[in-house]
Amino acid sequence: MSLELSGLVKSFRGPHGTQRAVDGVDLVIPRGEFVSMIGSSGCGKTTTLRLIAGLETPDSGSIVHEGREITHVPAARRGLRMMFQDYALFPHMTVGENVAFGLRVRAQRGRHSAAEIDRLVDEHLELVHLPGVRNRRPNELSGGQRQRVALARALVTRPDVLLFDEPLGALDAGLRRAMQFELKRLHAELGKTFIYVTHDQEEALAISDRIAVMHEGRVLQYAPPDEIYFQPTTRYVARFVGSTNLLDGELAGRDGALGAVRLRNGTVVRGLVATGLPDTKVSAMIRADRIDLVAEGPSAMLSGRVRERLFLGTHDEFQVDVDGLDVDLTVHMSRRRDASVAPGVGARVGLRWAEEDVRVLSD
Amino acid sequence: MSAGRHSLCTGWPWTAAAMAVLGFLYAPIVVMVVLSFNTSHVLGLPMEGFTFDWYFRFLGNEDVVESIVNGTLVAVACVVVSIGFGLPAAMALDRFEFPGKAIFRRIVLLPLILPGVTTGVALLNFFVLANVPMSLWTIVTGVGTALIAVAITEIFARLQQIGRSQEEAALNLGATHFEVFLRITLPNIASAVAGAALIAFAIAFDELAATYLLTGRDVTLPMQLWSMIRREVTPEINAIASAVLAVSLVLLVAGMWLSRGAQLRGTRAA
Repeated sequence: MSLELSGLVKSFRGPHGTQRAVDGVDLVIPRGEFVSMIGSSGCGKTTTLRLIAGLETPDSGSIVHEGREITHVPAARRGLRMMFQDYALFPHMTVGENVAFGLRVRAQRGRHSAAEIDRLVDEHLELVHLPGVRNRRPNELSGGQRQRVALARALVTRPDVLLFDEPLGALDAGLRRAMQFELKRLHAELGKTFIYVTHDQEEALAISDRIAVMHEGRVLQYAPPDEIYFQPTTRYVARFVGSTNLLDGELAGRDGALGAVRLRNGTVVRGLVATGLPDTKVSAMIRADRIDLVAEGPSAMLSGRVRERLFLGTHDEFQVDVDGLDVDLTVHMSRRRDASVAPGVGARVGLRWAEEDVRVLSD
Repeated sequence: MSAGRHSLCTGWPWTAAAMAVLGFLYAPIVVMVVLSFNTSHVLGLPMEGFTFDWYFRFLGNEDVVESIVNGTLVAVACVVVSIGFGLPAAMALDRFEFPGKAIFRRIVLLPLILPGVTTGVALLNFFVLANVPMSLWTIVTGVGTALIAVAITEIFARLQQIGRSQEEAALNLGATHFEVFLRITLPNIASAVAGAALIAFAIAFDELAATYLLTGRDVTLPMQLWSMIRREVTPEINAIASAVLAVSLVLLVAGMWLSRGAQLRGTRAA
């Protein structure tokens, strides 16, 4: 069983006429999975999340949760809990009252005794590693602590599905990473479905079971992180996730899953053809960390000159001006070896990669 | 004065100028309050003796007391009208898109900017044509409706500031729209509503022009004072004005305390 979105469409009237924020989204989210929706701002990911939460009503399409159609069920009765970007804590209530809110609404009246509510609140503040703050006000807490309170408030009513709208957006890098681990731990511990919206592709790769890459209101690709990373199906997905080189050319031939791309300088690059028949104008995609810098010569597939070299801690990033092409290739090389061996700016280098690391894509 | 305070605005010329301005603003008020306790019938210093007589006298003056009661009634009714219409209007402005919204937002302040005389004359014409007898209620319709603008502006600004996510979070946690309004929206905007109510009360209580034009036989305090002053300025008038001042101060402090309370609680969680 699962959460199924089919044909969801939602338009907004804006200053420039009607715009389709969500334009035909189909997604099946299996129960208990951690699914991320990523894309640049305005791609429709937050609107899709709000449609699931019932905070917006779709123009058309349907949302089915565990076999029950909830497209037009009011937000209050969907049993899905959402974490908001600004946490949306209630400033006039204590932390404890915030967490207990979902247990004290009229719909829940009489289901929990006062003692039970107390116990549940304490239990959930403990679950998010925030004991002993229940009598404080939200504005006395740090950003990370507010985050945890919001999480406890969402969890306390035991929803099947948790929705996250860029919840870590306001945190600094260190805290962000810590919360990512925390969310991952909670997901494993609680076994609930997490639907997570972020514009941070690294975060999505790190924490998701499955990622939906969205663009202009549609889902371009919906797959596990490694598949999104290594086997993107379109140029957009390739560019959006990770550091990618796209070499434009023409499809020169196909042999089963393998295709050959003739670049503008005449070089033929072979790689796996993405699902769906690419048209003649295609690109060869190679991840920056899948390219080796070697000596110029017959073993090199392309050659060029190092234009830029940046030390980035875990690796060096090279920009290589490739002979006969008007693009620079980005190459990431880890620094295990002695740094002096790595070519410096201005050096002539050869570029090499394995065929299985090349994907042949179109739009 | 206190050591370690450095700013551009120090030194005796600044202090003197500031004192002069404050003196100009407040000395007349102080004089009025002082004279209200003077035993002499004639306005002027020095004090002949201290007395509460003038206060007892105006409290014993039926016309004055009635005008205060009338004025208070009108002001309270104006508050009810302005908040009663202004609150829903502000909420509608905050969350719904409707045709003419942009224009409405711009003209909503018009009744407040227009001089009371203009509103008064316009409404007077209207009521005469419509054959509505003049009374305290016609004052309320005239002044109260203009004050809706105050309520809308104050409350709308607060709603914009708090944003929608708290309400959405409450809905998401299973609250009904009514519960959301009662437990989330209202506590968040309470100090803005109270502030708007205080301003509306003060303006309505003071309003002379529109009130004068729209009333029937009933008289409010400013009108009563006006007619008393035309006969003769007595210490009784000073006593009335001083009493109004005292009540205003209490309301002002209460209002400041209310909004400070809201600040201490923090108007936003984020």
